[in-house]
Amino acid sequence: MYGENESTEQTSLAGFDPASSDDPRALFEELRKQPVLQIGPGFAALTRRHDIEAALRNPALFSSREEAVKLGNVRPLIPLQIDPPKHVKYRRILDPLFAPRQMAALEGEIVELVDDLMGKFVGRGECDFHEELAVPLPCTVFLRLMGLPLGDLELFLSLKEGIIRPPGATMEEQEPERKRTADAIYAYFGDLVDERRAKPGDDLLTRIMGSEVDGEQLTKEEVLDVCFLFLIAGLDTVTDSLDCFFAHLAQHPEHRRQIVEDPGVISSSVEELLRWESPVPGIARVALEDTEVGGCPVHAGDNVFLLLGSANTDYEAMPGADVVDLRRNPNPHLAFGGGVHRCLGSHLARVELRVVLREFHKRIPEYSLAPGTVLEYTPGLRSVSRLPLVFSPVAEFVG
Amino acid sequence: MRVILDPERCQGHGRCYTLTPELFEPDDLGHCVVLPLAKDVPPELREAALSGVANCPEQALSVEE
Ligand code: HEM
Ligand code: SF4
Repeated sequence: MYGENESTEQTSLAGFDPASSDDPRALFEELRKQPVLQIGPGFAALTRRHDIEAALRNPALFSSREEAVKLGNVRPLIPLQIDPPKHVKYRRILDPLFAPRQMAALEGEIVELVDDLMGKFVGRGECDFHEELAVPLPCTVFLRLMGLPLGDLELFLSLKEGIIRPPGATMEEQEPERKRTADAIYAYFGDLVDERRAKPGDDLLTRIMGSEVDGEQLTKEEVLDVCFLFLIAGLDTVTDSLDCFFAHLAQHPEHRRQIVEDPGVISSSVEELLRWESPVPGIARVALEDTEVGGCPVHAGDNVFLLLGSANTDYEAMPGADVVDLRRNPNPHLAFGGGVHRCLGSHLARVELRVVLREFHKRIPEYSLAPGTVLEYTPGLRSVSRLPLVFSPVAEFVG
Repeated sequence: MRVILDPERCQGHGRCYTLTPELFEPDDLGHCVVLPLAKDVPPELREAALSGVANCPEQALSVEE
């Protein structure tokens, strides 16, 4: 979601895209030599933790409005592309639905889902972690939350791919597919909203439709603008995180063992791996006025990319940030962004990530990359196209 | 020691109440509520208080001696 289209254009620019980099940390370290990276005319990136934090806290100057990133949508996505003060009104109705207590209540269900998905490969001694766990899990969780049939899984996946990774090397080439997909998304959720209006359910969508801003229910269009964002913000990001986590653990047995030996380290591992991998490496803003960052000019109308991954590994601001420490404390990372647009789904994402780390290592404590695997990270959002793992087959009692 | 919250800065990352539930809890939005105990942190919770404060990505929490 976050600047996908710009970054694909940027990939041609001296390997700028940090998401697909084999070593984003080294790339970020290089980029931090200057506070503002000029990527092209009217397009810049902030590289340092301090400046990125300041930008996140100043939405009046660095706005997240529609011009910041184009994702095929015809109206601003809610709440991502809404600035304060309207933004807070939407968050006030959405935040309670995604609050920590609500999300903690889903844990049991998520454990079952992970168990089911793992059941399909534990006996085999190998799996494609990406295809068999990282992709289906967040999508299934989301379908359940929204009260949708699990049979819509493939459709959902194709809709989010059509926005996030449409075929084509440039934004122009990708445009038609994004547009087609966006139409399909509006149509799909449009029908669904009509259905729920006729027959409310006990699900997230019904709750969103019933909530009020300034004493008025959300319009159908507003509900669609929320759903569109959920689809592109809530599925791929968790897939990306799971891919990044397990690619790291498969290649760092010392960290894997730490988790196996002491599951108490799982919560801080989630935070640390989110920080280190920063699966959403950067987010998009547009400058509303001329300003300066670290002595470098930024002009009104410039697209400004905030490199969260760079902020998260900026060891000048956060001593020791250049190594992985699964027990790191403090760890005030920005993997979920910051400021008013702090990830709405962060509490849900954390539950999913913790459950997978716990359940996977319980059943498969020893694993590694299949021999000969070369990992390919995707541009824009950092996922791994294929993540083949090998391990000793686990004999399961069927009972 | 006393913990102070700047509610304007708090964005509900939830690091504080996850790490230090003795002193912080979430409200309905998932934003931080500072519990009364944090007005005068008992010595055995000093370290936990500092940890909750230092993990906030928004620097919404601070301490005063
Ligand atoms: C580990 C997984 C995730 C990561 C790393 C992540 C990351 C982010 C980041 C960095 C932002 C800030 C965007 C910006 O300021 O431009 C964001 C916003 C958002 N995320 Fe997530 N996200 C994750 C999971 C989820 C999930 C599961 C949902 C579920 C619905 C979700 C929904 C949203 C929404 C709605 C926003 C916009 C919030 C606003 O503008 O007020 N995210 N996310
Ligand atoms: S960690 Fe900071 S931003 Fe998050 S809930 Fe606590 S005080 Fe608020």
